[in-house]
Amino acid sequence: MRAVWKAARAAVRRRRLQTLVIWLVTLVSTGALVVALGLVDAASAPFDRIFGAQHGPHVVAVFARDRVPDAQLTRAARAPGVEAVAGPFAQAAVNVPRGASDYGLGGEITVVGRAGPGGAVGRVDLWAGRWATRPGEMVLNRQSEWTADDLGRKFHVPSGPTLTIVGFAFDLSHTADAWVAPEQIGALHPTGSQLLFRFHDAATESGLRKQLAEVTGKLPRGALAGSRTHLALKHRIGSNARAYAPYLMAFGVLGILVAVLIVANVVSGAVVSGFRHIGILKALGFTPGQVLGVYLTMISVPAVLGCALGTFVGNLLAHPFLKFAFTGPASGVLHDSLGIAPWVNLLALLGMPLVCVLAALGPAVRARRMPAARAISAGSAPRHGRALGIQRRLASARLPRSVSLGAGLPFARPARSALTLAAVVLGVTTVTFAAGLAATLDSYGNVGHSTYDVTVYVGNHRHGKEVRPVHGDRELQSLLGGLPGATHVTARSDDEALLVGSTQVVMFEGRRGGRSLDSALVRGRWMRRTGEVVAGSPFLRRNGVHLGDRIRLRKDGREEEVTVVGETLDTDDRLVIGAWPTATALMPRVQPIAYHVKLREGAGQEAYARAVRAADPGLSVQLSGSNSVTGTIIGSATGLTLMLALVASLGVFNTVVLNTHDRRRDLGMLKSIGMTPRQVTVMTVTSMGVLGALGSLIGVPLGIAAHGVVVPRMAAGVDITLPRAMTDVWHAPLLAVLALAGVLIAVLGALVPARRAARLTVAEVLHNE
Amino acid sequence: MVNEVRTADTVVRLDGVRKEYGETVALDGVSLEIRAGEAVAVMGPSGCGKSTMLNMIAGLDRPSDGTVVVHGESVGELSEKGLALYRRRRIGMIFQFFNLIDDLSALDNVALAAQLTGTPARQARRRALELFEELGIAGRRNAHPAVLSGGERQRVAVARALMNRPALLLADEPTGALDSRAGEQVMDLLIDLNQIGQTLIIVTHDRHLAQRCASRLVELADGRVTGEQALEPAA
Repeated sequence: MRAVWKAARAAVRRRRLQTLVIWLVTLVSTGALVVALGLVDAASAPFDRIFGAQHGPHVVAVFARDRVPDAQLTRAARAPGVEAVAGPFAQAAVNVPRGASDYGLGGEITVVGRAGPGGAVGRVDLWAGRWATRPGEMVLNRQSEWTADDLGRKFHVPSGPTLTIVGFAFDLSHTADAWVAPEQIGALHPTGSQLLFRFHDAATESGLRKQLAEVTGKLPRGALAGSRTHLALKHRIGSNARAYAPYLMAFGVLGILVAVLIVANVVSGAVVSGFRHIGILKALGFTPGQVLGVYLTMISVPAVLGCALGTFVGNLLAHPFLKFAFTGPASGVLHDSLGIAPWVNLLALLGMPLVCVLAALGPAVRARRMPAARAISAGSAPRHGRALGIQRRLASARLPRSVSLGAGLPFARPARSALTLAAVVLGVTTVTFAAGLAATLDSYGNVGHSTYDVTVYVGNHRHGKEVRPVHGDRELQSLLGGLPGATHVTARSDDEALLVGSTQVVMFEGRRGGRSLDSALVRGRWMRRTGEVVAGSPFLRRNGVHLGDRIRLRKDGREEEVTVVGETLDTDDRLVIGAWPTATALMPRVQPIAYHVKLREGAGQEAYARAVRAADPGLSVQLSGSNSVTGTIIGSATGLTLMLALVASLGVFNTVVLNTHDRRRDLGMLKSIGMTPRQVTVMTVTSMGVLGALGSLIGVPLGIAAHGVVVPRMAAGVDITLPRAMTDVWHAPLLAVLALAGVLIAVLGALVPARRAARLTVAEVLHNE
Repeated sequence: MVNEVRTADTVVRLDGVRKEYGETVALDGVSLEIRAGEAVAVMGPSGCGKSTMLNMIAGLDRPSDGTVVVHGESVGELSEKGLALYRRRRIGMIFQFFNLIDDLSALDNVALAAQLTGTPARQARRRALELFEELGIAGRRNAHPAVLSGGERQRVAVARALMNRPALLLADEPTGALDSRAGEQVMDLLIDLNQIGQTLIIVTHDRHLAQRCASRLVELADGRVTGEQALEPAA
């Protein structure tokens, strides 16, 4: 054992560069693997994971307090099929006018009286402050939009008590907008009792409805005021995650493949290039088992160190990716719960060294069986010219000899070249896919972006109080249009209405000024006259509305029939857009909430914003910038792509290091007959350039295919249809650049070892032989 | 001592050449002149600096001190590219272990030397074939190095060394890896080449080889020239 350790240690010392390469490749590959698996894990089931962690209710049912007492509800909840139940909790609907101090809770909010955040069902994540334990205290249902600094602020319930915010908690199932102590809820005049159920069979909507019917069967008629299932919730929330999941999954799978391939290539290559050394060990009297031990130890030391550090680095890198994709109001992730799942770290820590050992085992076992003399002679370049035929043809080609020699080199070690090619192909696939994704998202993010430069909101907040504009609506529009730089002003209103015949709440957007703002038309046309509207794709899909259909909208008892004439590229499933006369027909007292201002070429946004603030302190200004979501996706995709391309380049780097090591005698000889350092570099880089070109040839179509599969699924995740112009991104210039991606990956990986090969001292190399 | 006068037809001139590898002194002030058409054998015990001296002349290594001038070019002052071009134009080298590229046929191994200079493939192969015929191995031109005998491999290596018509042919233990018969064949070949005017430097342990092929013997010990003597022409 001592001899094995000694020989392995000596081998590691002698092969410092190779050891460094193994360490570096396992580090980067493991890091990429952790990020990739982390993304796959997070993208697979973000809802299920958090829902499970919170013991989320399969059904949230609200009962009318005036129809059924709590005691009867408690008895009814003991029905067969019920796995666990929480409640009844008194539930009140509180009307909060929109204003400066409402914490975004404008409209009607649901407040529930609950003694604590835990329980058998619906455990909410209290991530800041504490629970409301006495009257006058309140906990808000928030993910992480507010900091703990907001704790202690007052919330005034109109015609009710003033509550102090003592905590922030996140409830994925959104059973309440706010919680108060049970002793406080009475003052808010609760009308409902909330029960949270978990059922044994929660797989289908119909199954859940049936089980709920069994619970409510013996209750008075009309006792059940409303209910919703976790399946409906699952679809509604997490649209961000649904949109990101296919793309993250694609990157994850690519990352795993690249990481495993490169590690296998590096490790098996290290053993193959050590055959001569193996032969010498055998000649010295090492048993086959000891030889195997030496090689596995030699590989394992840097590999295990690389894997351990790579896992750590992967965790650090994964955090920002997960944060952008899986946080936000619709993502359904617990506050501060982002991180790599333990199984991912375990798999990386155990799996990658195992991949290394398995990759080393094949050639090591072969070397173990090989007679010493053969192993020694196998140490240099292959004895039997596998590449003979190809080299013969290349020798006659009208190419510089250094180029034709280099082009034939990959055929001398076909297995090593195949693994390297596979890594380059995956690298190119990633680059192509990411480039396509970026082009599509860029096009999506910039839809209608040039239609306005500044948004001026009606109302401003100063010292916690709302400041209203001093000018009226029409005055404001002409004021904004008259400020220096403005060319066009579109007023916009947003008001809720009801889609008659359903419970669907519609966000009716009225526009005055005729510009298309930031929506793109997917099908149909823009509204031209009163009574015509356009709607977002999700609205049309979820309500079964088609272009040309007439729908009725109701607001404050007034009903209007409108015709849907166009489908816009919006992700909001409630959005319906109409011209101002249509809005006023439905809502006679409609007022704009914002004005979108187009500035003339060269006019500064900041200067215009200053002019607006000076003109009316009751206005707040937002400048148009790049779309943050698409920007984040593009940014993260670029990061992931660079990481995978780096891993692929490292694979090439390793192959060239091994090839140079294997062929150092040939290189020395070539230099001795007059090959210049530049020719050596050209030959070595060409050998990988061939693989790079082949990699592009295979990888670009694969990347295009991946884009074709993933992008529509991303769009479907948020119920939109991308127009063809956004998915047809494969134009000649882009393809030409992508065709170079493989060559670039190969050349970048090959350049350093190629230059090193060019500097080989001939006398030393040939003398050593 | 042979030929101490510097003549116009001097091909190689070593002047106080010293080579150190760390603390080891491989060559210690070697001075030597070799004239065109000479066949010089360099002998000495292992580690005496024979191969180092040959490497200096071939431009495979640079002296730590002193000058190596070949055909008027100071080898030590050439850039890496300059050295490559120098080796290409001036030098042909024959190694003990042949150093043929296993992936190439015998003919392509030889043609390669010319192709590196930009000679078109067809022309290079034609010239290689001529050499194969002259060296009596034309029938083995398409063979893979691995299937050639030692003598055949060394003749292929000689053909490669002659491919660019070098002014100087350097041979490092050219018969060291051959059996006696193959060794004799290679010796005959070297004698023939010298007789048609090829300047030749042979590094060897083999006194018989030196006697047969060289007209002058240079003896090295501990990195210094310890003796020179003229040899009788081969019988």
